[in-house]
Amino acid sequence: MGKVMLEVNELTTKYITRFNEDVYAVDHVSLKVEEGKSLGIAGESGCGKSTLALSLMGYYFSPLHYTSGEIIIDGQNITGMNPDAVRKSILGNEIAYIPQAAMNALNPTQKIINFIEDVVQAHDPKVSKKEIYELARERFEVLGLPKEVLQRYPVELSGGMKQRTVIATSVILEPKILIADEPSSALDVTSQKMVIKMLRYMMEKGYVKAMIFITHELPLLYNVTDDIMVMYAGQIVEKGSAQQTVFDPIHPYAKGLMGSIIVPESGLKDSKLTAIPGTPPNLKKPPEGCRFAERCKYVTPECKRFPVDMKYVEGNRSYRCIFSEEHLRKAYQNG
Amino acid sequence: MKGYRRYFLNKLLWLLVTAVFAFLLNFTLPRLMPGDPVAAIVSRLAQGMSNSTGMKAVYEQYATQFGTNKPIIEQFFLYVGNVFKGNFGSSFSQFPRPVIDILKSSIWWTVGLQFPAIIVGWIIGNILGVLAAYIRKGFDKVIMPVSLFISNLPAFGMAVILLVIFAVDLKWFPTSGGYGFDLIPEFSWRFIWSVIVHYQLPFWSIVLIAIGGQAIGMRSMSIYELNADYVKYARFLGIKDRKIVGYVFRNAMLPQITGLALAIGTMVGGALVAEIIFSYPGLGTTLLTAIQGQDYPLISAVTLIITVMVLIANFTLEIIYGLIDPRIKAAQSD
Repeated sequence: MGKVMLEVNELTTKYITRFNEDVYAVDHVSLKVEEGKSLGIAGESGCGKSTLALSLMGYYFSPLHYTSGEIIIDGQNITGMNPDAVRKSILGNEIAYIPQAAMNALNPTQKIINFIEDVVQAHDPKVSKKEIYELARERFEVLGLPKEVLQRYPVELSGGMKQRTVIATSVILEPKILIADEPSSALDVTSQKMVIKMLRYMMEKGYVKAMIFITHELPLLYNVTDDIMVMYAGQIVEKGSAQQTVFDPIHPYAKGLMGSIIVPESGLKDSKLTAIPGTPPNLKKPPEGCRFAERCKYVTPECKRFPVDMKYVEGNRSYRCIFSEEHLRKAYQNG
Repeated sequence: MKGYRRYFLNKLLWLLVTAVFAFLLNFTLPRLMPGDPVAAIVSRLAQGMSNSTGMKAVYEQYATQFGTNKPIIEQFFLYVGNVFKGNFGSSFSQFPRPVIDILKSSIWWTVGLQFPAIIVGWIIGNILGVLAAYIRKGFDKVIMPVSLFISNLPAFGMAVILLVIFAVDLKWFPTSGGYGFDLIPEFSWRFIWSVIVHYQLPFWSIVLIAIGGQAIGMRSMSIYELNADYVKYARFLGIKDRKIVGYVFRNAMLPQITGLALAIGTMVGGALVAEIIFSYPGLGTTLLTAIQGQDYPLISAVTLIITVMVLIANFTLEIIYGLIDPRIKAAQSD
């Protein structure tokens, strides 16, 4: 086992709406990412993936609020730290974020280099502009971006360029953990490939030590990450290696999710695409028992009675269901 | 830089086109007023004169002097030519005082009053707007309704309110004029102090209204910008909030620059009224007396000056706009 870079224990965060209602979008989430590894988070829209990404940063602003749990980055517990200390010493240089909409992630009236200057100087005001320029130029060149980009405004860059600029800027301080929230969802296939290559390359180069990759595109996740976590209604429902989770899911929701996509692998040629009926529960009033019960094919009255805990099984996997693995496997075989 | 030159030339061309139309309208509109001003002068001069041939001769002489007996097209070109020489003709109502003379004595009062007032109002309004958006809570709950209230008062309404409270009731400031009526313009402390005291009420009546309007616009623009993706991204990279407010201020300010241009534009309609109420010796008061006296050389000269000031202000702002917003340049160079 490698060194644990990010450890999250029972993290719970909530949104407070305009009407003062609490929405628990991330509910007792625990995870671990080791050095050199990447973790994928999958799930349908609204399941809490992006909120989890924001919550992991340890820096909360309205409407998102911290409730409980802890975040440990490379042995340092950042929960309970003063927000300004988190801003200065954690954000950007320990943990960095690539936003979902990189298209709009750059200030339209600022040159790229000036933004990078602001980022670097927010953590260390003593670094000179010349040093920052040299660093940025070198980093951009390594990542295949011409140095002219630095002198441009965001409006003068193409979508793919902006995306790569955002990635390069996020890792300028060599953070230990990079959280990428659908970094490729707005791009065409070639640009997507470029982004993925870039993210991998940064891991190889050691600019980032570990990565969390969030997407609803499962084939991508399978190709990029070592482990995959499936989220449903703010909770983790299944955790395991990428191979196992995609090709051999245990939880009925994970099973349904994997059944609804095409993975271009041999042996799956004749399998049918299936959709999961129904919609996720309202998180203002989550159901008492299993949150997936309403949509589950294999539901029993027992499912809805008590909260369901994670079950740990062979091969370092876990899932959130009251049934045993054998029971579920049998049920899947019978259709 | 090539894109910017093109943008600049484009705006310059539009400035010239607008200026031509401004000249045309300025020349035509006063001449559409009913009544013959030359006849008015003649009748004033020829009071008691019974000789109709003599009166006719006097009339002809003035008509020739003012050029009112020439075809209207020729009058227009004469007018344009003269304007460029700085010659606006003689005033009818204060005949034979040259119009340029009257303007020289009033224009600096207006420029000195209006521009600082509009700029100060604009700056304070924008700062309050961005703070209201950033701080929210109680601050916003006070700023917002107060701004809405004062921005909807007409300029003269605000002027009258200030006049009644601070000049009539409290007697802190004088009710009218640009300086004490017992003083003559000179470089003395007494005179300068008198000017400063007389300046306050007209100044604040314009500033307050400008603050209200600008604060409302800036507040909603800032709220929009504060929720933009780049703000979230910058926060997660550890950039200080103060710096982020700076980003937001710059981006939210862009539409407000148009607001500033409009504010300078409404100087004509709204804020000149404040001058009239305080009998401030600026263009507003001059314009009012000119209209009352059917003094169309003076009317056209005043309106022309106002138009040119608005055109230049708009042009300058568009040039600044092109410099601070790279998107404008990019859109223009396509």
